[in-house]
Amino acid sequence: MPAVTETYSLGVPVEVGKIDHELKKLWLESEGAMTRASLMNLAVYSEEPGSLKKNTQLMARITENHACRAIVIEADCNAEEDGVDAWISAHCHVSRAGSKQVCSEQISFCLNGGCTTQLPNIVLSNLDSDLPLYLWWQQEFHDPMDPQLWTWVDRLIYDSRPWQDFQAQMRLVESAQAEAKQRIVLCDLNWTRLDKARFALAQFFDHPASHHHFAKIKKVRIDYASGFRSTALLFVGWLAGQLNWRSEKTVGENKLQFVGSSGRKIDIEMRQRDGEPIHEVAVTAGDIEFLITHAKCGDLLEISRGKAGGKRVPQLMPAGKNDPVSLMSEELMRGGPHHVYLHAINCVRELL
Amino acid sequence: MNRAADQPEPNPLREGLATRAVPQPCSIVIFGATGDLAHRKLVPALYNVAADGDLPPAVAIVGFARRKKSDEEFRRDLEEATRKFSRQAVRDEIWKTFAQSIFYHQSEFGDESGYKRLAKRLDEIDKDHGTRGNRLFYFAAAPDQFEPILKHLKAAGLNETCKGSWVRVIVEKPFGTDLASARELNRIVHNSFTEEQTYRIDHFLGKETAQNILVLRFANAIFSPLWNTHYIDHVQITAAETLGVGTRAGYYEHAGALRDMVQNHLLQLLCLVAMEPPTDLSADSIRDEKVKVVRSLRRWPRNEIAANVVRGQYTKGAIHGDPVAGYRQEQNVNADSQTETFVALRLFIDNWRWADVPIYMRVGKRLPKSATEISIHFKKAPAVLFNKDLHDLNVLVIRIQPDEGIALRIHAKVPGTSFHIEPVKMDFHYGTSFGKASPEAYERLLLDAMSGDATLFARRDEVEQAWAFIDPIEEAWHAKKDVPELFFHPAGSWGPEAADDLLARDGRAWRRL
Repeated sequence: MPAVTETYSLGVPVEVGKIDHELKKLWLESEGAMTRASLMNLAVYSEEPGSLKKNTQLMARITENHACRAIVIEADCNAEEDGVDAWISAHCHVSRAGSKQVCSEQISFCLNGGCTTQLPNIVLSNLDSDLPLYLWWQQEFHDPMDPQLWTWVDRLIYDSRPWQDFQAQMRLVESAQAEAKQRIVLCDLNWTRLDKARFALAQFFDHPASHHHFAKIKKVRIDYASGFRSTALLFVGWLAGQLNWRSEKTVGENKLQFVGSSGRKIDIEMRQRDGEPIHEVAVTAGDIEFLITHAKCGDLLEISRGKAGGKRVPQLMPAGKNDPVSLMSEELMRGGPHHVYLHAINCVRELL
Repeated sequence: MNRAADQPEPNPLREGLATRAVPQPCSIVIFGATGDLAHRKLVPALYNVAADGDLPPAVAIVGFARRKKSDEEFRRDLEEATRKFSRQAVRDEIWKTFAQSIFYHQSEFGDESGYKRLAKRLDEIDKDHGTRGNRLFYFAAAPDQFEPILKHLKAAGLNETCKGSWVRVIVEKPFGTDLASARELNRIVHNSFTEEQTYRIDHFLGKETAQNILVLRFANAIFSPLWNTHYIDHVQITAAETLGVGTRAGYYEHAGALRDMVQNHLLQLLCLVAMEPPTDLSADSIRDEKVKVVRSLRRWPRNEIAANVVRGQYTKGAIHGDPVAGYRQEQNVNADSQTETFVALRLFIDNWRWADVPIYMRVGKRLPKSATEISIHFKKAPAVLFNKDLHDLNVLVIRIQPDEGIALRIHAKVPGTSFHIEPVKMDFHYGTSFGKASPEAYERLLLDAMSGDATLFARRDEVEQAWAFIDPIEEAWHAKKDVPELFFHPAGSWGPEAADDLLARDGRAWRRL
């Protein structure tokens, strides 16, 4: 069956009006040797030339753990002539039981010309019914946002890291969310990037006897890699939001000061260095330092606490990965709204 | 599920990160640490939890056993076992830090001084590792050792908690061998620990699909109106395994399938299927409803037991084409053993919801395939229109293991000009829809115990009520006269014919697995 592929090709070209028919044919031809699985519609939209191929490769890997109907769209909004090309394919993987192939189907589109008008129509007419729609928006958002599309989106996934103007982009997202009149969950992959570091820091304070350290935090140092300043700022926003700190002043680009509820000052130092996006976090509370740092092997975090120069018993935990497949997999495993994220960005919105 | 009363205030940095109760720093003391359970299940489970990043940083594992061993030797033994039995490959760097918190404590179970030394050592671990005085005692030793262990723990003050810390005890099955011994065991445990501190582990409850029974029933409105005597014809629960008694003959000869599987695992599954909706998801609300099910099980008078409970034993036969010995020919089994390796039961739950709905259970070793499944057989649609000649019922199947999932059998018209109707199956496989592997049952249960969530652990009254149901059957089987027959069946068959007759008398048949 030519359309079933593991070689990341776009599959079989199809007429847009016959996609459903061709998909049915695809599964009929598999003669029960493969199982189609789907838990969601996962649409990915990009205007980057060549993104169709790149995103097909990503989908092949994402569908290993997240069965879905993938709708991959590449748009050339500046093309002189309007037009749509479409392909269908399937990503197949041997199931955990090892006895059968589990397949997710992919519909790929190349849109030329009036992208914003074509997009809702393309997405909405090709959804796997009764399943939620997750839209992964790989572009900066355009003004105006099309309300017709947003009314159907359950989770809007984006990465705020490369945004040039965070506030303007967030305003667009929030206005779309408001217009949609339904619950769109905002999923920022820049926030997902922080999951493991947040988890690692949080677990120091699980025991109530540790909670007194919150009131003693006087300094936070965050080492981040080039291009990940906004990620580091989100981390600061998270701490501020959860621990009720308010922004007091900024000293240069990377030194901030917050004030705790008791009027205590908290100095934040952000340092750019080589390494992982968030390479190291040190929180100093009184004479105790809580340290999270990337272990030498890269995909593990080494966490420890102790007094300066004192004995430490380090522990390793998964660090998470920064590639799009890992971030998406992490995000797709989660459910529910991200209240903490919204709270965090509100604390550092003006700094982003 | 909900936080226990001894759970701490929430950590604001955890908000949005955890959808389960957070495990607390603690020392886990494993009694019987050189045994099979610790090596095959407990330590690999703890390693997996650590590798997934779910183990709090301040957790120490202390192995308590008789053999002389250094910490290093113990760590090496556990590393070897973990490499063999862990569900994920062991990473050297993770093992290295994990192993730093593993210690060995050599002592006889009956030696009081060993417990005093243990108390001192745990205090030192608290200081060095930040385990904060929290203790989780895991009884992986033989049940006859529980009493001395508990007595000495109490004498050494290890059952006592300081302010803000907790002490919990996990007890492995068997929880007694009958009602009297279970009560005695509970009395012994409660001499040292309260019921709230006692976690009786039943690993079936840690399985993903077992937990999903509650979700299936109470998160899906379509099943709720049908889940009663008006719409359900009968229920079948099968726990089949191809394995023989293996190395467990010493235990199994005295236990048999009824005590080994029905009293605990199968009755727990039945409770999940048959219980009323709990008022909330707290451990006690759920267990309150489960115990009502066991309490409502109809007790058969002695003279009706043979008609409702069939016991069998496998003889020589073949599994997957390979010849296998009969039970009596297995090592350490009496040549004239009367131990049942197969049981089939016909049960009734005498309450409003389940009145007159038979529950058929079967469990056995050396059956044709390994599978644990629950099937809900719905009543026939009225015998008009299409149903005059239909004999198949709608069946909802919950597969517990292997290939966890849910299937629904419905009727559909065969395409064509004639009106021919056939059953078709709608099938959901966990492994197909969710790429992520489920954690092992012990991983979930150990984390729950560290978090103070007792929902998936059996409460005292559940255990005792289950024995109260089982005891009359065992008594009938071990009576001096009118003893129900022990039926034999070749290995690789689905049990003795008498088990089929149990259903045939009601006009039903076992599901084909």
